[in-house]
Amino acid sequence: MENAFIILFGFTMLYVAATSRLMAHINVLIFQGILLFLICTTDMNEFSIFNFLFIAFETLIIKSVVIPYILGGLIKRTKDYRDTEANIHHFYSLFIATVILFIGFLISNINLPAMKMINPLYFGVSIAVIIISLVLITTKHKVISNVIDFITMENGIFLLSLSVAKEMPLIVNLGVLLDLFIAVFILGLLIKHINTKFDDMEISHLSDLRDCEYDV
Amino acid sequence: MMFNLLLLFPVIACIVIFLFKQEKLNNFFVIVYALLHFSLSLIYLLNDSQRFINNYFSVDSSNVIFLFVLSFVFLAVALYNKRYMYLEDAGQKQKRHYTYMLLIFVLSMTGVITSNNLGLSWVLLEATTLASAYLIFFSKTKNAIEAAWKYVFICSIGIALAFVGIILLTISTGDLSSLNYYDLILNAHKFNPMWLKLSFIFILFGFGTKMGLAPVHFWLPDAHSEAPSPASALLSAALLNSAFYVILKVFNILVIANADSYVRVIMFIMGFLSLFMAAVFIYHINNYKRMLAYSSVENMGILIIGTALGGLGLFAAIIHLIGHSLIKSSFFLTSGNILHIYKTKKIKNISGLLLADKKTAWLWLLSFFGITAFPPSVLFISEFLMIKTMFMQKHYIMCLIFVILLTIILFGLEKAVINMCYGEISKEKEIELKENAKQLSFLMYLPQIILLATAFILGLYIPFNLSEMIQLSVFGL
Repeated sequence: MENAFIILFGFTMLYVAATSRLMAHINVLIFQGILLFLICTTDMNEFSIFNFLFIAFETLIIKSVVIPYILGGLIKRTKDYRDTEANIHHFYSLFIATVILFIGFLISNINLPAMKMINPLYFGVSIAVIIISLVLITTKHKVISNVIDFITMENGIFLLSLSVAKEMPLIVNLGVLLDLFIAVFILGLLIKHINTKFDDMEISHLSDLRDCEYDV
Repeated sequence: MMFNLLLLFPVIACIVIFLFKQEKLNNFFVIVYALLHFSLSLIYLLNDSQRFINNYFSVDSSNVIFLFVLSFVFLAVALYNKRYMYLEDAGQKQKRHYTYMLLIFVLSMTGVITSNNLGLSWVLLEATTLASAYLIFFSKTKNAIEAAWKYVFICSIGIALAFVGIILLTISTGDLSSLNYYDLILNAHKFNPMWLKLSFIFILFGFGTKMGLAPVHFWLPDAHSEAPSPASALLSAALLNSAFYVILKVFNILVIANADSYVRVIMFIMGFLSLFMAAVFIYHINNYKRMLAYSSVENMGILIIGTALGGLGLFAAIIHLIGHSLIKSSFFLTSGNILHIYKTKKIKNISGLLLADKKTAWLWLLSFFGITAFPPSVLFISEFLMIKTMFMQKHYIMCLIFVILLTIILFGLEKAVINMCYGEISKEKEIELKENAKQLSFLMYLPQIILLATAFILGLYIPFNLSEMIQLSVFGL
């Protein structure tokens, strides 16, 4: 059952690659949070109430309510609903994402002794999601879409951590969650300041600092 | 118990400042914390019996030098910070926020250096990014926003990749379910080499982003040039070391697992690329704070080359780290004086520093001599040892490239520093500059004098205890 969810999780990245509406990206984030919750619960070997509550808090509350709420609020505030001028046309972006996802599936079918130590499908899809997010960060032009891609990358890393049967110590898990939350919060604050100091949210405004000055 | 005080004090201080909102409290707590930090780490340094290991934190022979360097630099910065913040044209609230973040920043760096769990180190290293973001953003200009944005975004992505590395490391550990350094080192020979090597690549690039290694150093010149000078000094002299410490710890696991030959090549490439980048950019630099930032990139490159050489090279790298922290923090603090006198960061708009303020000019020149490893400087010993190691290991071409790149960097720095110190200025300009220089107090010279004096004395004479301690830290890692 969880394999279906994982594949669905991989496909959500194709949707992010193909669309330019930022609100749709936010919806994808919510959907990914729910998917991660379903993957965790169907995958759980032994049920412990504390663990369950923590995962529910992490995936359902933080990943699919709080962060999308903050980002959605920012989009409404800056009145910037589309990321139109991406470096690469949506079709090519979709094509690249598909190829990377396909390679991810191929990786999960490699038959190496070392691959026995992990759950291959988790591994392949999560690596693909991380790489697609990194590619999208370089091609997108709005600061908010960069933050959204950063969150999808973090979701990919979360899935990767599920591919290891062992669990991280709780203090590390909590710390990771806290850091992610504060990072989004700080990036949100910076976006507000970018919105007041600059005319619009294009990333190209953020390229004044450089080393050489040419006298034109 | 004593150590808990180190972790709890900044939190309590922040709460007290928040409740009472007095401007005097800001400096008071920063200086008290610096003194506390310094005295505790001095005790740990001199007295082995006080060192300890608990579940999450430990102070042992491997990290006590890192801890002491952090304390020393922080003490100097705290003394300098008092007058600097007084002269800074900022609101009460802004200065309060600055103090909170400065305290939390030092707290999280202390945590990174003393934590004995790789996961916890990761969490705290990300915390340093988030705390220092405000320090960079402090002036709230367009450039500061840009620098802070790049800093938070690039470092967060880098550190996220390092987390991928940590996950891969847990895969390689097999049955062991712990990220404690002691457990990892004890069981290192049983780890799966493929996953271990893969994980180190991610960790090197991830934490290398934070450490400022080329090709992932792009946030560094922007952040260092936009932050207020005390914050730049801490960023350059303490934060980069903390990231280096984590890399060193993980690298040591690879050495024990006997999977290090391949990653050493990658470390060499990154190190020489850092030197190359620094050489190219310093040659045509136009902003003196950016120049210092590129010099940090260079020195981080030297550290990673020394680590990759191993043996005597690693010993030299630790000496280099001490020397670089002392001299670079002095350099950055002096750049704060220059910024106050001239009100510009452009090199070509500055000349006649010796006429305007003799003390600042001499500190600037001495810091320059120190960082470029002129003989009494401790960096001379470390770079000399490193070249010697390259000869011993028969890396002749590598040694040649190393020396040529260092010479280009020396020339670039020299051009800028000499142009700033000498040259003519008009009489009115001189009076105006002297007026600015009068506002600088004694406390804006003293920290640099102490830092430089320590660096030059260490260059003449390294106490036997210290060199023994460095050896222990190389072995004990």
